[in-house]
Amino acid sequence: MHISEGILSGPVLISGVALAAAGTAIGLRKLDYERIPRAAILSAAFFVASLIHVPVGPSSVHLILNGIVGLILGWGAFPVILVALVLQAVFFQFGGITTLGVNTMIMALPAVFCYYLFGSLVLKQPRIALPAAFACGVFSVFFAGIMVGLALTFTEENFLKVSYLVVASHIPVMIIEGFITAFCVAFLGKVQPGMLQG
Amino acid sequence: MKTFSTINRRRWNCVFVGVMGLTIFCMLWPGSAKAHRINVFAWMEGDFIHTESKFSGGKRVNGGEIIVYDLEGKQLLSGKTDADGEFSFKIPRKTGMKIVTQAGMGHRGEWTIPPSEIAPTGPEQKVSPKTSATSKPQIGTTSVSLDQIRGVLEQSLDQRFNPVLKMLAESQDKGPTLTNILGGIGYILGLAGLAAYMHFRRKSAEIEAGKKD
Repeated sequence: MHISEGILSGPVLISGVALAAAGTAIGLRKLDYERIPRAAILSAAFFVASLIHVPVGPSSVHLILNGIVGLILGWGAFPVILVALVLQAVFFQFGGITTLGVNTMIMALPAVFCYYLFGSLVLKQPRIALPAAFACGVFSVFFAGIMVGLALTFTEENFLKVSYLVVASHIPVMIIEGFITAFCVAFLGKVQPGMLQG
Repeated sequence: MKTFSTINRRRWNCVFVGVMGLTIFCMLWPGSAKAHRINVFAWMEGDFIHTESKFSGGKRVNGGEIIVYDLEGKQLLSGKTDADGEFSFKIPRKTGMKIVTQAGMGHRGEWTIPPSEIAPTGPEQKVSPKTSATSKPQIGTTSVSLDQIRGVLEQSLDQRFNPVLKMLAESQDKGPTLTNILGGIGYILGLAGLAAYMHFRRKSAEIEAGKKD
């Protein structure tokens, strides 16, 4: 999901930075002290998850974990993902510094979106919490694929074609992330229910 | 109250152990080094330039798009990599080149060949007829021209050095190392510590202000 440097045009990069900055500002405001340790753990998990690789066709696909980040932190996903992306760009050369804004939008916006879609289901309806968590994991990756398509549309490729390609190649990741998110929700529900209360 | 907090702490320990377990699991994952960066490597062989494109960790870019630019950014030619991630082309112009590989979905890598690497054969070859003309009387007896010698030399040097160049390229192509991973996690913990420091400084200031009142 990381878009490399030198692909996107200037206006896309700049609007990505502006939107990501706005999201990060909202996220930082909502991230009070009690949630900092949680945010740090999730940031570390997101940072390392990109190393778990699933080979698909000509490209390589890795875990993202934006679903669980969004589910637990809501808007806090923005600063958390931004920090992890900076470190991934510096240490692993995934993505790049100029594309940070766009990449943050690609992964954090679906996280927040899925938080609003599935958050209340997971947190308040114990009966369907697990299926909802699964769906949260799946759709956060799905929407991230759509975001990649959207970002690339303005520069080179056809929106439907790219989105289709990205989403199709991420189907294994979507399923794995669905299970991981459901597992995390089940595990936290038993061990640390307070962590799931938004 | 005390028992509650110890239970709580135990739970946190559980979470901590879980996260550490996941982290270690990630590091030991067989494909852990494979991911997103594309490494392009190009080397010369006679009039041809061979390129090799891989994702970091060694998976070859199959069917990726290769575009070759000159250093001014003008496109010279383009093509597609084969199943081994390789693509070769004849040098279109004796100039520095930038070789860009795109593998779709926003993956991109590049390799620059400086003019100095290509130019020597250009100007020198132009000069060589003169030198061979002036040196002809000296060589006289040999029927082999300097150009031919140079050609043979270049060929055998290419043969000798290409494996070395490939090895160099492969040694450059290191996935994320343990140092990188731990360094990143360290930065995140440091940021969390910074946030905690700011918070408690503010809090202790509040408490002191309360004492004064």
